[in-house]
Order: sequence, then C-alpha cells, then structure tokens
Amino acid sequence: MYAYDREIEERTDDTVRMNVGPSHPAMHGTLRVLMEVRGERIVKAEQEIGYLHTGFEKLGEHRTYNQFITLSDRLNYFSPLSNNIGFAIAAEELIGLETPRRCQVIRTIMAELSRLADHSLCVGAMAMDLGAFTSILWTFVEREKLYDVFEAVTGTRLTTSYTRVGGVAFDLPEGFEKRVTGILDSMEDTVSKLRDSFYKNRIFLDRTEGIGIITPEQVEAYGITGPMARSAGKSYDIRKHKPYLIYNELDFEVPTYTEGDTFARYKIRLDEMDQSIRLVRQAMKLLEPGPISALDQKHALPDKMSTYTDMESLIHHFKMIMPGQDHGLNPPVTDLYSATESPNGELGFYLVSDGSSNPWRVRVRPPSFLNYPIFGKLLEGAMLADVVAILGSFNIIAGELDR
Amino acid sequence: MSALEKMNDVITTRLGFAINWARSNSLWPMPFGTACCGIEMMATFMPKYDASRFGSEVLKFSPRQSDLLIVSGRISLKMMPVLQRIWEQMPEPKWCISMGACASSGGVFDNYAIIQGVDQFIPVDAYMPGCPPRPEAFIEALMSVQEKARKGEAKSDEFVSDDATRDPSLSPSYRSPDHFESVEVPGARE
Amino acid sequence: MSVTAYAKENLLTLAAKVEAAFGEKLLGKEEKIGYMQFSVKAEDEHALLALLKNDAALGFTWFLDRCGVDYVKYPKAMPERFGVVTTLLSPTLGVKAQVRAFVGADASIPSVSDLFAGADWTEREIFDLYGVAFKGHPDMKRILMPDDYEGFPLRKDYPLRGRGERSAFPVYHAIPASQAPREP
Repeated sequence: MYAYDREIEERTDDTVRMNVGPSHPAMHGTLRVLMEVRGERIVKAEQEIGYLHTGFEKLGEHRTYNQFITLSDRLNYFSPLSNNIGFAIAAEELIGLETPRRCQVIRTIMAELSRLADHSLCVGAMAMDLGAFTSILWTFVEREKLYDVFEAVTGTRLTTSYTRVGGVAFDLPEGFEKRVTGILDSMEDTVSKLRDSFYKNRIFLDRTEGIGIITPEQVEAYGITGPMARSAGKSYDIRKHKPYLIYNELDFEVPTYTEGDTFARYKIRLDEMDQSIRLVRQAMKLLEPGPISALDQKHALPDKMSTYTDMESLIHHFKMIMPGQDHGLNPPVTDLYSATESPNGELGFYLVSDGSSNPWRVRVRPPSFLNYPIFGKLLEGAMLADVVAILGSFNIIAGELDR
Repeated sequence: MSALEKMNDVITTRLGFAINWARSNSLWPMPFGTACCGIEMMATFMPKYDASRFGSEVLKFSPRQSDLLIVSGRISLKMMPVLQRIWEQMPEPKWCISMGACASSGGVFDNYAIIQGVDQFIPVDAYMPGCPPRPEAFIEALMSVQEKARKGEAKSDEFVSDDATRDPSLSPSYRSPDHFESVEVPGARE
Repeated sequence: MSVTAYAKENLLTLAAKVEAAFGEKLLGKEEKIGYMQFSVKAEDEHALLALLKNDAALGFTWFLDRCGVDYVKYPKAMPERFGVVTTLLSPTLGVKAQVRAFVGADASIPSVSDLFAGADWTEREIFDLYGVAFKGHPDMKRILMPDDYEGFPLRKDYPLRGRGERSAFPVYHAIPASQAPREP
C-alpha cells in the first residue's frame, strides 16, 4: 500500500486537498488554487497569488512619467496599447494637458484594436481550455494580423510603448486604413464562425451555462468591472459613463447580459468585438491631418525629427528627458485618480505627485486584481471540471493581477 | 527479399549518435510561460510560425515528460523555488532556454521582486535577447538547442545541485552510462 | 440596472451631505476631475464609508479601489505617515468619491471588509506592501510577497533593489572534471 493510499484511508473526514498551479496549462501562467474536494465536488477553494509580483509600483516611483509608459506595456500583455493610453490620459489629467484631435482619434482606434486583440485571445483560450483546440488557432490567425498592424504603427509586436504624455510617438503609416479595413472584415468572419461553433454546441453549453453565476450585488461589493460586470447585468462602461477621447462622438452600444454565468461572459466578449469593429470603422472616417502631439512644449515631447533640425525643439527635448533640477514634467503637488475602460474593465491610475519629474506614487488599479477574488467563492459547490471553464471566462492576466 | 537487398536499407551508426539525432528532432518543451514572453511563445506554436516543423509542438505541462524547459517571462521571488523544483523534476538529458530580457537578466525590472537572471540558479543552454523576443528569435534558439542535442551536449551536465539531500527519484537520469549499458540490444555482438 | 451617466452637479450634493454629517471631523475636501475627495482621520474612516454606502440618497455601493500611500518626506505636510485611499462609485449619483484616511506607522486602521467584500484583498495588499495593519480583518496575511518575507517593500525607506533577497536561492555548482559524466 502506498503512503498516499494509507493517508486517504486514515482520514477521518472525506475531503481531499488538491493543488492546481502555479505551473499548470489551465492556470494561465502563474495562478494557483488550493481546493478541498469531496469526490468531484469542491468544498472550499482559496487562491494564492503573487507569483508574478514585479514591483511596478515601486519602480514607477523611480522612473519619470514618460518612462513609466514603457513599463505599462508589461501590465496587461494581452493589450499593451490600452495600458499606454490609460496611463497617458492619467498623466495628462494630472498636468492639465489637452491633446490634439488627431492624437485622440488615433488613440481611440488603437484602444479598440487592442480590445479586439485581447478579446480574441480570451475567447480562443477559453474554448481551448474546454477542449476545443481549433478556436485558438482561428483567433490567433486574427491576432497575428493585428500584430502586423501594431508593428507597422509602433515598431514592435507586443510591447508597444506607443503613447507619450501629450500625444503619441509616431503617426500612422501609409496604407493603414486599407490594412485595418481588411482585418476588420476577416475579424467579423471569425466572430460569426465562433458564434456558429459554440452557441449551439451541446458540450460547450453544458459546461458553461449556469456555471459560476455572479449576482449584481456581488459585482458591486467586490468591485468587479468590465465584461464580467456587464454580463451580470450591471451596465457600467466608462466609455459611455464619462466619455474620454472621442467616444462621445461615436455610435456604439454596451452589450449587457443578465445571467452572469460563464456562457454570458463568453458571449459578451464576442458582442464587444462586434462593437469594437464598429467603433474602429467610424473612428477611421474621422482621421484628419494634424499634429499628433500637444503643442505645449513645456509638457509634451517635441516631434522626434525636429529635435535633430531645430534648436528650440532640442532644448525642450533635453529639458524633458535628461535628469536634473527642474527638468522633466513638473505637475502640481496633488493627487488624481483617473480611469479608462480597458478590455478587462476599469483600469485606474492613482497618481500622487510631489512636483518633481518622477511620480511620488503610482497606484495601478488593475481590473484583474478586483475581478479575481470572487473566483474562490464561485468554486465552492462547483465541480472540479468547472475550474478551468470559470477561470477561462475571467480572463485574469497575471501581469496586472500581481503587478 | 534477398539478404543483399536488405543491406541497402541499413545504415550503420553509433547508438549514441542515433539517439542524439532522434532526440534533437523531438524535443518536448515544458513551457514555463509567466508573462509577456509567454504570449510570444504561444505565437510560435500557433499556425503562422508553427514550431511543429521542428518536432517541438508537443507541449507537455508535466516536467517529467519533457526535456526542454522554456523560461519565458520574468521570475519573481515567489516563483523561483517553483521553477527550481520543476527543473529538478525533469529527467536528464535536459536543456533550458531563457527567453527574453527578464528571464536572462531581469530586463527593465531591476528591483526587489525580480530575479536578475535565472542562470544564477539553473543552468541555461540558450539565451534569447528581446523584450519580448520575436517568434523568429524563438525558432533560432530552438535550433541552437537542437544543435547541442545532436552533439550530445547540455549545460546541465556541467552542474550539480546545491542540495545534496535531494531525492534522486525526482529526476532520473537517462544519460548516465549505466543506463545505456543496461539496455539489452537483441542480437548485438560484442 | 445601468449606472447613471456622469453628472458633475451631483458632486456638490455629495459634498454638502457629507459635510452636514461629518462637520469638523472632516480634515479636508477637494473637487477633482470626476470625483470628490474627502480626508479623514483613521478612526473616522469606517463611519464615513458606511455613510456613503448606506445612505439611500448617496448609494456608493460599488467598491473600486483601496490603496496605500507613504507620505514620509512628502513636500506637503501630512497629518500622519501613511494614507489609505478608497475609491467608490455611486450608481445612483453617477459620480465617484474618494476617502483618504491618514494612519501612523505603528497604528492600525479599522477594516472595511465588512462593508465591501472587495476590500479583503486590497487591505491584505496594503498590509503586505506598507505594513499597515487592519483591525477586524478576517485573514490578515501577506498576499503578493512570500510568507517568510521580511520588510515592507513599498515603504519609502525600503531600497528599490531590495536587501539581497533576490539572490538568496540554492545555486548549482560546476562539477569537477574528474566527476564529469562519460558520453554515451
């Protein structure tokens, strides 16, 4: 008789302790769940996090505002552009900087494209966790096309660092609109293909419908935001609630479901992809020539090319970038909480400034950190096989969960 | 079929060479994807870059069935013991790829929470620069590990763990000479 | 059950109501972009958050965030060393409110995890990174750092590169040439 057999036989209660993760295919990298199971039924579950604690907030205190944009790529690595834009908007609100029209339109387009990239990976990976491997191959083909666009615009596939405080780093390349139009069309096809495959698939429905139900009261108490809140009937979307960028000029809907189960969380991501496609199409019509960065040279970086040819731009660039007394962005001594709607929910930045070039405190309010605590509650009473289904629908990203 | 005709289909080689050749074309990776690099690693296994062209598409999340550890992403204080345990559990011969700047050197995260290079604590065979590296770089690293495997080299051969009390059953060695000597090849002549 | 669109005029309603109820206990209030910030002492925080949540006309039932700030050597004088900043959203008023409570280095602050379930993890995080203890929290332990970790990394006096903990793991040694394994 093996030792573990004896242990099971000698136990007085009939539960078994089980550990999943942190290195497990369904745990999306670094998540870990400890469970007490009775047969296939989970009695108690507890999440352990911190396996990707990177010290973003400490590092932010030692970097300038523009340098933190580079770090913000690595928070939610499914959609780095959303983080870039969120942080840039927070810093601009702190300084009181207005961005030009073209910059806002470009940011809106890029934010929605990154939402498409994020949701496409999430819906693909969730179905993969449930055994439908093909769907991630489909969505990754779309994602690769988006990667090519991001590379053409920002220079890199993943860690884009595209925004600057007061603007964006580069203008859009030639042929951008034609390229994106093609991608949107094929993205639409993929979304409808996913709907056809899963909305009437008996196995998929059995494993997701009525599983992991979140109630509207829980949404508020836990601070859940984004698609997870909207799938539970709480229609809170900052793009509608307090529009930033050019969202108040665009026509779009906020899809809402009332079930709050795993299937609703899957459906809402597909619906949001439809809305994002709509938004990008509308925003591209609003693209007009103009400056891409604020003209306030005390706070916004000058155009990179003009620093090579123009004395004044070079001085401003030097004053902004090089460390030294009174160099850099010097916001007023104050604090500000600013939030944008990232693909996962409310991405907030609470910045405390001491008037120097570095922030005194950078608090990242990531959607994943507030969305994840309820996971353990939902598992109680669920079956063992539901763990991957529920977790896949949460779209927890360890980078922003642990920071 | 005559005996002479059969001879045409026979290649004579050393057993070790043949094993190494077979191994190099069927490296089973253990993906240890923690962060951004993990996404690019996924991209490498997806249709566009398709790592199965190199015989490495079988992602086994069980370390006991894999021979190539891919550390992709930053490794935190809390994660390092996990990574070391997984490395210990892998059977020999084994190789390790350190993917990206964070795994190789800490990258942009020079702070209290991040290990400044996993090669301080586990032997690394191939380093990949980039933050994150492109899938092409991943394939380059995979090919360099294949090259090493063909030569029968592995960095882990040159190192021994600090922990002398470690259970040897954690990582059985299929590389030791004893193992090969105990294999009985039917009909083999002295 | 949609959230009311942002309405700037509701910020004043909120400020008037809180001022009437709290009066002198309020250390300060400030209108920010999209929300109202109130500053209170640590012992008054729970009562203020309870008022914001339970008052039917205010209805700040949506928990958004709770984080810590270390104000040691901050250019503006602060009542105590640490700040605990809580952000709430009111679906009825359509505005956000922020409560900033000040707490000393060795003092503790009442937990609000009885009001908001989401405060559980955020309070554990503040304890982990700043060492601020929460009275009445059901399970006060570290969340991001390892259990045996010493020190509070986000305090201003903690060095950015740590105190050597990132290189304290068992290492592998090179095998002497005499013991090197034979090639098969």
